[in-house]
Amino acid sequence: MALGANSMRCGEFRTSYRQDSTIFPTPMSRNFAIAGVLLLMVSPVFLQPYHLNILIQIGYMGIAALGLNILVGFSGQISLGHAAFFGFGAFASAWINSSFGIPVILAIPLAGVLTTAVGMIVGIPAARIKGLYLAIATLAAQYILEDFFNRAVWFTGGSAGSLANPLSLFGYQMTTDTRYFYVVLAFVVVMYLLGTNLIRSRDGRALVALRDHYLSAEIMGINLTKYRILAFGISSFYAGVGGALFAHYLGYVSAESFTILLSIQFLGMIIIGGLGSIMGTLMGTAFMVLLPEVMEGGVGVIADFMPGIEQGLAYIKEMAIGLAIVLFLIFEPEGLAHRWQLTKAYWKLYPFSY
Amino acid sequence: MIGKSLTSIATVAAFAALSSTAMAADEIPVGHLAAYTGPTSAVGKIYGQGIEDAIAYINDNGGIDGRMINKDTVDYSYAAPRAIATYKRWTSGLNPVVIQGWGTADTEALVQFVARDEIVYMSASYSGHLTDPTGKSPKTEKAAPYNFFYGPSYSDGCRAMVAWAKQDWEDKGMSGTPKFVHMGDNHPYPNAPKAACQDYAESQGFEVLNPIVYSLKPGDAKGQCLSLEDAGADYAYLANTSGSNISLLKSCATVGVDTQFVTNVWGFDEEAVDAAGEAGDGIVFPVGAARWGADVPGMETIKAISRMSDSSGEKSRALHYMRGVCSVYFMRDAMKRAAEGDGITGPNVKAALESMEGHVPAELEGVCLPHTWTPENHRGTTKVMVYQNEYNGGDFRFNRLTTIDLPRRDDWLGY
Repeated sequence: MALGANSMRCGEFRTSYRQDSTIFPTPMSRNFAIAGVLLLMVSPVFLQPYHLNILIQIGYMGIAALGLNILVGFSGQISLGHAAFFGFGAFASAWINSSFGIPVILAIPLAGVLTTAVGMIVGIPAARIKGLYLAIATLAAQYILEDFFNRAVWFTGGSAGSLANPLSLFGYQMTTDTRYFYVVLAFVVVMYLLGTNLIRSRDGRALVALRDHYLSAEIMGINLTKYRILAFGISSFYAGVGGALFAHYLGYVSAESFTILLSIQFLGMIIIGGLGSIMGTLMGTAFMVLLPEVMEGGVGVIADFMPGIEQGLAYIKEMAIGLAIVLFLIFEPEGLAHRWQLTKAYWKLYPFSY
Repeated sequence: MIGKSLTSIATVAAFAALSSTAMAADEIPVGHLAAYTGPTSAVGKIYGQGIEDAIAYINDNGGIDGRMINKDTVDYSYAAPRAIATYKRWTSGLNPVVIQGWGTADTEALVQFVARDEIVYMSASYSGHLTDPTGKSPKTEKAAPYNFFYGPSYSDGCRAMVAWAKQDWEDKGMSGTPKFVHMGDNHPYPNAPKAACQDYAESQGFEVLNPIVYSLKPGDAKGQCLSLEDAGADYAYLANTSGSNISLLKSCATVGVDTQFVTNVWGFDEEAVDAAGEAGDGIVFPVGAARWGADVPGMETIKAISRMSDSSGEKSRALHYMRGVCSVYFMRDAMKRAAEGDGITGPNVKAALESMEGHVPAELEGVCLPHTWTPENHRGTTKVMVYQNEYNGGDFRFNRLTTIDLPRRDDWLGY
């Protein structure tokens, strides 16, 4: 199976380690990625605001989900507090922008840095505890931060929330979906390239070693405490940037957006997409964002045929989302990224696939 | 030949374009943000039905000078971010002239948005923060030029409760300083009247205790009741909606607290009586419109409106329904006035509302309270009717105790 998925076309070969660790294994995959970004760049011309809205959602959620995947999928830890970091980034960016007059475009990465600091503090217990115990420790962080959002009036506006100014660049206000789409797209490309490169670096390999066998990693000289906390920091940076993008898109930040439910959704995204897969993260995010929308449409179609059951359909929709996730985990436990590999292999080896 | 067919296609296209714009111009777009689900759904469903029925009734009876109201209803589950997202969607599609909104968190968050987009926002949030259109009052945090609501503000409702409590204390011949406590969730809606009302209670000679927090989501509240008992409060103001208040009242009955409970306009209604049972006996609350079945001229219209969603006409509606209908009728009258002038646009509807002085919608005489809005003052009414629930073993009565008329002080705007 793996042979089919990773095998290269005739005439493609590698002669150095450097070539073996390029971001795109084949010229074809690189061309496809570039074409994909170009296609997205022209897509606002064809798409309606509703579709752009969904793409923007996939964008900022995808950035945050990648952070969680680096923590869970690559370094083998767990966090149930990712939504709180996402929220912290959102509040921080609005706060930096409105209190210090720093332009939004700079406030977004700064919010990421602030969130990194918070994430590293929360990650300190990770130096000592693992597994379910770590999950509960991060759950505590989720609740502490949520309560902080509700009380820290100077920072978050308290329970009333705070307004986030729109992003403006070169005199243009990025208030429309079309304009903001490009901002999010640029951030997605940059953050995903950074993420991919991180995994190819010395630090990235240390994280993976930590995940696969922490004892061996330690014997090889990897500082476990440092890398565990670093993983939390990087993960929070992504969450913070994603949250900041969300804040300036909606224009309003309120504590109620960042509940434990969102944390679980983030986990769902990376599990469905594929743990330890960069591309899978984006696929999983797209799946989780699109599923309710598709169900909504499906429910509308059914309602046209059976008008009497509209009331019940809202519940059917919720249940169907749950069911889809369960079925996914049964039939594709390795995530969408794996399914994508299989599909590619099928075409590559056609008609001799097995 | 080609030229001819091209011309005809162009003509058809132009005609289609014209007719579609004509259609859009005929209808008046109105957004309705409802809370049919979420923590405030118990009262949200009643109020939202009032809005729906009133708009349907107006459309069935010729609309506004022949123009229909094109209403889009969205249930936002009391989640402010969802309300903002809906608002953004509306401003890039529906382009509503008026929005009938709901909660305090979302209404207050949208204040600057609606002012920028010039959309009249009539909320079911009666937060005192929405009453200053100019921002001149020292207590105002931000001006709210496009915000209106029907009924006494939360702050005024609470002040009226304090005024009644003072009277009650004297009538009972009690001596010493009565103790007052504000209870509610840490959320913009319960917080809205907190400062203003505590201020007023202090000025009326009450000792104001530290506020007690209990959740908007119904759940056990015995811990809060124990704090209440320890603090020895004589009067406790409940700032949450009925669903949450029922569970608090029951918890406090179990603990055996003998505090006199007073609440806000959303804090108690006919549908809460059975659920609260004995525990709800004696609770005092403000009422912002005539009750269902009251002997007033406008009740016939209310009954006709109610039939829009209840063809049997037998269903009785709780307090909030009437306020929903009143909110829509004030909107209708403002739109009518605007239509007579320069047309139905946000600024014109706002100006029309601000020209109302002691106004009551004609068909709802006796149901809706007279309202006065001016360009400097959006505190529509200062009259608060005070009612008390008498449980009476299930055969309950709502007794009208008094009507408090608060001063129309300028420094109370936005507060």
